[in-house]
Amino acid sequence: MKERTVWEQIADQLRSRSIWMLHYCTGCGAMELPPTMTARFDMERFGIMPMATPRQADILLITGYLNTKTLRRVIYTYEQMADPKYVIGFGSCTINGGIYYDSYSTINRLDYYIPVDVYIAGCMPRPEAILEAFQYLMEKIRKGEADGWKRYKENYEWYKQNQIRSLGEVYVHDEFHE
Amino acid sequence: MTNSMNEALKAIEIFNPMVEEIDERQVKVSVGNDKLVSVLETLKSKGYSHLSLITCVDWIDDGQLELVYILFSWQDGGKFIVTTRIDRNNPKFVTVKEIWPVARFYERELHEFFGVEFEGNDDMKPLFLELWDEMPPLRKDFDPREYSKSKFPDRKYEKDVIKEAKIFRGEIDG
Ligand code: SF4
Repeated sequence: MKERTVWEQIADQLRSRSIWMLHYCTGCGAMELPPTMTARFDMERFGIMPMATPRQADILLITGYLNTKTLRRVIYTYEQMADPKYVIGFGSCTINGGIYYDSYSTINRLDYYIPVDVYIAGCMPRPEAILEAFQYLMEKIRKGEADGWKRYKENYEWYKQNQIRSLGEVYVHDEFHE
Repeated sequence: MTNSMNEALKAIEIFNPMVEEIDERQVKVSVGNDKLVSVLETLKSKGYSHLSLITCVDWIDDGQLELVYILFSWQDGGKFIVTTRIDRNNPKFVTVKEIWPVARFYERELHEFFGVEFEGNDDMKPLFLELWDEMPPLRKDFDPREYSKSKFPDRKYEKDVIKEAKIFRGEIDG
């Protein structure tokens, strides 16, 4: 890894204090987010806020299983986000397929298609685990180790080739919009 | 069985159905292929006007697909499960989209997941799957595990027995 300049180090310090999260809630894990966001666990005290659009978000939180249809949308979303961007894989489904490991339409590991900075194991993980993961990610950002977005650029060919292998085509065809 | 269910059953008696009472408010009615549409229409006129679901069961050993239509009545909450069996190797049936317009989506779904053709319904675009390249996936002879292996690579795990033993003994933190 390249040495960071002083400015980059300062920027990373600041970034880690204000991360906005886009949550892609297709899996069951989305159920744990309301308590995490609201008064009970209150993630805003760490500077983490939910955000509705990819362009303004820093974190992409994938809450659980992705099938080929949603993976296409996730790749779109991920590529729309501005650098620096981080991905958190939430639940065993993103790690190794979970209970859907032999399904005909769900993928088995997320980091094969987009780079993942932190995984949270569990089916489903508790809000404490989510906050723990966020703290870990903040630590990684501060140290400059959360470099998934750089890896995506450097190994773009490899990621694209994997995406094509599983999806056939990444382009989204949508009968309601064409 | 509720009164209105008895009435409805009487009305469809002429189609000689096989009736099976599942519980107080659920009755399964199996009829021949040619009678099914008339039975559905009769039941609809008797108050069972809500088509909850059309689905399909794959009886691979009998070489048949069983089409299942679930009708619901808003008057007394009764349910009729009307089924018929069609040939598995030539799965063709007629559409009911003239009776319930919503049926065309269920029929598209069945076409996608079981490969059933519905005559009269020519909008048979895939509904859920995108770029599907195999046989219909909910048929019993489709092997999802093989397909998953060929398309979606697994994570490889290495087993470290010594480390596991140490964690187990509490020497290191897992
Ligand atoms: S890991 Fe468990 S809770 Fe999360 S999406 Fe998968 S099955 Fe659902």
